[in-house]
Amino acid sequence: MGWGSSDRQDPALSGNGRVLATVVRRDGRDTVLLQEQPSGSVLPLRHLQRQQPHRSPSLSWNGRYLALLVQQGPERLAVIEDRATGRLHRLRLPGDLVPESLSLAPDGRRIAVSLEGSGRSRVQLFDLTPLLEPDLPAGLPVPGAGSTTP
Amino acid sequence: MRLLPEALVRAGALTGAVSLPLLLAACLAPLPQPLTGLNQRLEAAGPARAPSLAGDWLALIVSRDGRDRIQLVDLNRRQPVPLPGLERPDAQPLSVAVDARGERLALVRQLEGRTELLLYRRNLMALQPVALQPPGVPRRVALRADGRELAVEVSRQGQWQVDLIAVP
Repeated sequence: MGWGSSDRQDPALSGNGRVLATVVRRDGRDTVLLQEQPSGSVLPLRHLQRQQPHRSPSLSWNGRYLALLVQQGPERLAVIEDRATGRLHRLRLPGDLVPESLSLAPDGRRIAVSLEGSGRSRVQLFDLTPLLEPDLPAGLPVPGAGSTTP
Repeated sequence: MRLLPEALVRAGALTGAVSLPLLLAACLAPLPQPLTGLNQRLEAAGPARAPSLAGDWLALIVSRDGRDRIQLVDLNRRQPVPLPGLERPDAQPLSVAVDARGERLALVRQLEGRTELLLYRRNLMALQPVALQPPGVPRRVALRADGRELAVEVSRQGQWQVDLIAVP
């Protein structure tokens, strides 16, 4: 897939395959690019014009949530942009550990983060249910939403 | 502790480089909770990296006894499941991705001087190579949650590209 002649790395697909996230080199900075599939149309992102380099994008089922690593000064942060509401959620990570990569569950309920610190790499899981609405495949009921049977 | 918006504005103005939306999001939103029990089990399994999370499945690369190996964890049962036919002691896994049913794993590994892209089907206990056209050197792989397509980062003639490949 072409984006000019620049490098394209770190791919992630939404659960339904309709959104592709990659990291491309733009103006010398690694920047996440979101595209509809199969048209390739570029999708807008509200909060992620800065804070490069971007790394390790990960998408929910319908592409509502984009999780990734951003750089803010000396600090590397894990954030989640909610494309439906425009909100940006910051994931607060433990202690002195530095996030290296992440993976968002397609339903948006959990996230796995690879962390480095004290000479050791580890993977930790976080529950996102207090933070995010689920992003489910079409036709699946939201648990706990109650019956709509007449 | 929750900060008042005025305090946040002052904090942002003082630090200059700090983004106000990020500060607001950090201070006003509910916090994600670490899954402590699962994290303790993962920690005990040894150094780990490159997670892929889908449905109730976590695939990752775990280092043990000086060797990296792929592990698939059933998050409901909080334990790894066997992956017969997947591992070779002389192979070095670089990247792994799992679908939401925990049935298909896409992986990139180095073996005998080659870097290869493979698909593992757990119900068949079968590992099959995935050809890259034109040829290239794969690095990171992602799998659609329904397992029907993979996206892989490939080096060709000094440039990194992304291939989308339908999975039959």
